[in-house]
Amino acid sequence: MNKKAYYGQFGGQYVSESLMNTLEELDKAFEEAIHDPEFMEQYHYYLRQYVGRETPLYYAERLSEKYGTRIYLKREDLNHTGAHKINNVIGQILLAKRMGKTKVIAETGAGQHGVATATGAALFNMECTVYMGKEDMERQKLNVMRMEMLGAKVVSVESGSNTLKDATNEAIRTWAKTAEDTFYIIGSAVGPYPYPKMVKEFQSVISREAKRQHMEAEGKNPDVVMACVGGGSNSIGMFADFIDEKDVELIGVEAAGLGIETGKHASAMALGEPGVLHGMKSYLLQDTDGNIQLAHSISAGLDYPGVGPEHAYLRDTGRAKYVAITDQEAMEALLELCRLEGIIPAIESAHAVAYAFKKAKEMTMDQSMIICLSGRGDKDVNTIADYLDGKGYLN
Amino acid sequence: MNRIENALSTLQDKKEKAFITYITAGLPDYGKTKEIIKAQEKAGTDIIELGIPFSDPVADGPVIQAASYEAIQGGANLEKTFALMKEMRDEGVEIPIVFMMYYNTVLHYGLEKFVKECGSCGVDGLIIPDLPLEEQEEIKEFLDREDKTILIELVSPVSKDRIPKILENARGFVYCVSSMGVTGQEASFHREVMNYLADVKKQSKIPVMMGFGIRTAEDVRPMKDIIDGAIVGSHFITLMREHNFDPQTAADYCSTFKKELNVL
Repeated sequence: MNKKAYYGQFGGQYVSESLMNTLEELDKAFEEAIHDPEFMEQYHYYLRQYVGRETPLYYAERLSEKYGTRIYLKREDLNHTGAHKINNVIGQILLAKRMGKTKVIAETGAGQHGVATATGAALFNMECTVYMGKEDMERQKLNVMRMEMLGAKVVSVESGSNTLKDATNEAIRTWAKTAEDTFYIIGSAVGPYPYPKMVKEFQSVISREAKRQHMEAEGKNPDVVMACVGGGSNSIGMFADFIDEKDVELIGVEAAGLGIETGKHASAMALGEPGVLHGMKSYLLQDTDGNIQLAHSISAGLDYPGVGPEHAYLRDTGRAKYVAITDQEAMEALLELCRLEGIIPAIESAHAVAYAFKKAKEMTMDQSMIICLSGRGDKDVNTIADYLDGKGYLN
Repeated sequence: MNRIENALSTLQDKKEKAFITYITAGLPDYGKTKEIIKAQEKAGTDIIELGIPFSDPVADGPVIQAASYEAIQGGANLEKTFALMKEMRDEGVEIPIVFMMYYNTVLHYGLEKFVKECGSCGVDGLIIPDLPLEEQEEIKEFLDREDKTILIELVSPVSKDRIPKILENARGFVYCVSSMGVTGQEASFHREVMNYLADVKKQSKIPVMMGFGIRTAEDVRPMKDIIDGAIVGSHFITLMREHNFDPQTAADYCSTFKKELNVL
């Protein structure tokens, strides 16, 4: 067992033998890169000049007043391409170039990671192929169009359930065939080691900024930090610099879909059965035969049956708490944020906002919390409209 | 002695190459699976890989993906496959059988219970493509304790310096993957396939089998002096589908392949 690949009992490298040397090569290149000041300087240059960092830590006045505690929003929605996904893409694509790869592939569910990858590929002149479930391509036509405009090839995946997990399977298969010249850019804090570590490294800029910004505004650490959790990339980035600050409560918000009790949800940790999928051991939604179950959420970005291994570890050690918010609660929070603060959040991020409202009830005006607003809601306007019309959503 | 090791040592004495096939359990149903296995045993197939269907078969190409999906839809699972194994062994089927499966299916069933069940149902070996050497410790502890079922090691064209480590404690046979990627990419072997197979053969104390993309004995002619046997999966499933899972077709294909393989 490769101990450094593990977070407690979670993580590892559950991939075919063909990929083991590739992972070792990647791990070595990654460690060298992040210890190379020149590489990191380049990464931060693009985050600043291209992505538009740093993002504000906005004090939400009207929400704070209504809910009786000091609420800050970390505005990842203001990044180029509209979400936190681009932070990680810039890091991984610079690494791909450094390793001499000429092609990149990616999986995508809602299309945000696909769009971010297509964007990075255009910027750095790499050939880009994005794998997307047939079902998701229908639900997220606009993002398919954006990726194609950016020069990426979008491959419709028609196997299994035709959604994100199948797109990920197909990306892994392609990678196993083409790893010699192709770099696989994973968008979430999942996959075989070193991916969870890599995604955390490139997303931790969120908490590094937020911690300093909060200190400047309040002269102390926040009492609570929260973020939504699908695979867990924005949340691990939001938690990263607070993990060692034991007084800061960390809360991850999964999607409860129609309700955990209905079985139609995307909360891998609610029932907590560990298993192996997409190269990692972590908590997974499974049926009685150990097959992977479909996740259900109104938010395509949270619609994933697993969760990153470090989150599984943070849950088991009690360092972070994981809760779940239903479709309905998320949509109510989304509309409230629109009306009170003039911000249309992504439905994913609205899950964190919804739980913040609940959490605020046990907090006071002397306390503060940071919510990671991981993305903006432009992409969700059709889903929101259908939901308000009572048409439900395609899932 | 383990059935696989037994069968392979007999073949070595006879200077014969092994012929191995793969089928998905419960496709189209367990009755057919049993008939096909029995027909193959009679026709001279040496080892059978029995696929336990899984929802997310990342090491498989389109043919086996579709087979797994359909088998699951038809109700196939590990529990029923164990029952089939027990039944067949009780009925005198003695051909070595290897489960080809994904690690989550094992974990979900429970490692200890799984290994015990394999032992008592006559499962002779396991191929778990998403369980590379570094992750095998956990299951090996139980396999060693029970000492009935062996874990087959896989080697790929890019394994290179990993080969000695992989071969060190390997038992039964070494499964050499002919190309990078997934099962069933028609006979487009890796460009380094000859060197790589020779490299593995030189270092291996146990028989070396090649799989992925093989359809006929002719496909392995170039490496006939290196390998000790051939494995056919996707093509066999396609053939079975085209002939409505007819056991006689399976028997004919297997006896022809086996005969041709040994006169290449």
